[in-house]
Amino acid sequence: MRNFKKTFLSIFIVAFTLMLVACNDKSSTINTEKPANAPDTWIADRTITGLVFQSANDASVEMNPEIQAYIKEKTGITLKLQGITSKDSQEALAAGLAAGDLPDFISYYLDNSGRPEMSMLLKASKEGMFTDLAPYLKDTKTYSKYFEKGYLPEDTAKNIMFRDDWDAASYLVHMSINRNVGDIGRKTVGGVYIKKAIVDALGIDPNEITTSEKLYDLAVKIKNGKFVDDNGKPVTVIGPTVWGGMDRDSLYNDLVWTGTTGEKFMTDKSGKVLHETQTNYGIERVKYVQKLMQEGLMTKEFYTMEETRAKEGVVNGSFAIVSNMHNFITENNDLTYIPLGPIKRVDGTNDMVISYKSGYAGWAIPSTTEMPEHIVKFADWLASEEGKLLYFYGLEGRDYELDEKGKPVVKKELLTLLKENPEEAKKLGFRGVGSYWGEHLGYTDMDNVADFGELTWGESVAKEDDTAAQQIAKIYDFDKHLKEARIIDGLSVQSFLYEFEGDKGELTAAIDRYKDDVLRAYYAKDLTEAEAILAESKKNLESKGLSNFTKFIEDKIADGVTIKY
Amino acid sequence: MTTFVTYNGELKSQEELEQHYKPVKVSTWVRLKKHKVFYTMLFPCLVFFLIFSYWPMLGLVLSFREYGFNTGILGGDFVGLKYFEQFFDDPRNWIYIKNTLIISCLKLFVALPFPIILAIMFSEMKNSKLRSTLQSITYLPYFISWVVVVGIMSRLLAPDTGLLNQLIQKFGGDGSTFFMMEESHFFPLVFISYVWKGIGWDSIIYFAAIMAIVPTLYEAASIDGASRLRQIWHVTLPGITSTIIILFILSLGSILSAGFDQIYLMQNPGNANVSETIDTYIVRTGLQGGQFGYATAIGLMQGIAGLVLTIVVNRVTSKKFDSSLW
Repeated sequence: MRNFKKTFLSIFIVAFTLMLVACNDKSSTINTEKPANAPDTWIADRTITGLVFQSANDASVEMNPEIQAYIKEKTGITLKLQGITSKDSQEALAAGLAAGDLPDFISYYLDNSGRPEMSMLLKASKEGMFTDLAPYLKDTKTYSKYFEKGYLPEDTAKNIMFRDDWDAASYLVHMSINRNVGDIGRKTVGGVYIKKAIVDALGIDPNEITTSEKLYDLAVKIKNGKFVDDNGKPVTVIGPTVWGGMDRDSLYNDLVWTGTTGEKFMTDKSGKVLHETQTNYGIERVKYVQKLMQEGLMTKEFYTMEETRAKEGVVNGSFAIVSNMHNFITENNDLTYIPLGPIKRVDGTNDMVISYKSGYAGWAIPSTTEMPEHIVKFADWLASEEGKLLYFYGLEGRDYELDEKGKPVVKKELLTLLKENPEEAKKLGFRGVGSYWGEHLGYTDMDNVADFGELTWGESVAKEDDTAAQQIAKIYDFDKHLKEARIIDGLSVQSFLYEFEGDKGELTAAIDRYKDDVLRAYYAKDLTEAEAILAESKKNLESKGLSNFTKFIEDKIADGVTIKY
Repeated sequence: MTTFVTYNGELKSQEELEQHYKPVKVSTWVRLKKHKVFYTMLFPCLVFFLIFSYWPMLGLVLSFREYGFNTGILGGDFVGLKYFEQFFDDPRNWIYIKNTLIISCLKLFVALPFPIILAIMFSEMKNSKLRSTLQSITYLPYFISWVVVVGIMSRLLAPDTGLLNQLIQKFGGDGSTFFMMEESHFFPLVFISYVWKGIGWDSIIYFAAIMAIVPTLYEAASIDGASRLRQIWHVTLPGITSTIIILFILSLGSILSAGFDQIYLMQNPGNANVSETIDTYIVRTGLQGGQFGYATAIGLMQGIAGLVLTIVVNRVTSKKFDSSLW
């Protein structure tokens, strides 16, 4: 009997201890007593754990130990990041919020308030999951700028951070805000690309391919030209994006009912707001895609190919046309591909359009976090000049030296290392070499030229026109496009979804489903089936209140709200 | 009238015998104490089931409640049968049920004979070394994750560049068929990959059951002039019938769950009409769409359907074949 009791007792103790260990993870000790020799930037001796709902590369949870030690020395903070591996970041966020057991802060994608994550974040904010950060943010050096009139883009200010229905509270912090209006950051040339060798062989001007019809004619010419890739195999005329199969508008801009936001809403000539299902553009695009596939001009894996295979295709020059990439893609360092087009939008324009100020991701602090002011102060330090210098350029002496103006000069050997062995360079753990841990809390109030004396990392050290990115920018005549660019601000149509339907989310889900339905239509047996799929999708949207929603937007426009499409 | 019986050579009355054999009523505590070693071994299993099977069942109340981040699973407003109505009101959901049933039936009924045939083939092999090698080879795919299996399939069946299409090209065909994308190829591909991956593993139990058949039955059949085929038909198959039935009943519980990983990974825009099953729909609406209550309600229906089916089939097999789970 004694043994029996002993056995039960030991099992109970082990189980209880395991449970305590499991539960104890979050309640790490916080010491707010400042050591005598600590710098002014010292915040508290504690660990800050962040959960990042982004892809593994963007999350960059692996931090360089020397960088971590520097942060600890300056702020007393040990930063730990955790990532969630999921096919879909939105899915991961929903599961994470539902699980409830969140660490000190969370970070997520949020280009604008029209993203599907937004309704979940608003619901969580409304139900008290997050801390009101307004009082803490006001008390900072960098983030306090968010309260200045005109500093934030309209969508960030009105829909994400300082909503009317929140009574001056702010639960979600939007990131990637440029310090100056219309700042474009680095010179990025995105869109459709074509093999330079094919352009030369056919003797065409790639800038003249501005409509989907012209693109089709070019595709036919390429097919008839019997071009081969680096392995001597026939090229695929139109390949997917360099990131794999996905539906990007750039290939057939003039067949997509949208402006620059990618949301399938636009106004017609009479000023009526319409969704793509209320026009013929959806089915016209389907016809176009089916024609390209049937004639063997577009790979059938255009919407499904894995990223590794797409990149392999780009490296081998297996695609004559890559439907989307940009000039900083390292697989194109040898300048095999150059920009094509761009294809005009439905409104007939194809000029450069710049957001008043951009936004990209965001962070929030769960209401369960102890002393949230520490996280805000830490974010503010990361967004400061010192924090940014660490995040963008690494450690002084190891990765860069300061010139007489106090601006960083990148070590040349690092540029070589990054070119020859990017994976090894990344281990040094800062943004310039592809480690993005600081993006989550510190990447905002951006003005690289003012802060670092150059637009992109290492630009002043690298020889002029040395990189493929710079050469492509020249080929594209980036500076001329920039000079003529339009700056737009305003709220996207889908950013009003929450105001229109609240937590219900039925129309949001129907709009989301339309994207899947279009993909199904591309692969439908014939046009009749494709038409039936799109008709059913339209019916679904109407039943969830699409017409009332477009009327709601028209009323907003009548009230003077600026809408961007 | 007293009845007498002979016991150990002596004549004893029925009363005397009953008194002799009357079982002593032992208390539960004494029995627990007596078998304490076994109960101790059982304890972790009980804890496991309580934590991982019964405790999560509390979450099923979400089928009738509105989920809120602040109210959690148990505290939301009661919404009655709203989610169940929502499910049956959407005509697309009937397609998901149909797809689930088709895939489940393929896996439960059509795939059933394959591991049995393999097990019989193994049992008939004389060379034990060759048998072990072949068994190992057929078990191996079971340990490969569906992510890898579907990845391999995508490569093999890719249009133009895939192995199969290149073979077709060699023989003068077009070679641009996108097998993974075409609706008509979806069910065959699901079935073939399922059988390929699981056949070796599933055959283990059948093989063990065959090994447990008394060899004298085969000898007797052989003396009676039965060929190997006749012996398989009249000795082997009846000998493993109860195993087949029990495994079949066990798998019936998951008839409304067509296997999530495989289907989810094989889904694409081209086969969406036939590849959306209840499981994948739950993930799409529950996780991606954040409709946790609705997804729970669908999961509850799935569970109940599986339970009812298992009970009914268990009753039927108990009466017809004298073989059942309980």
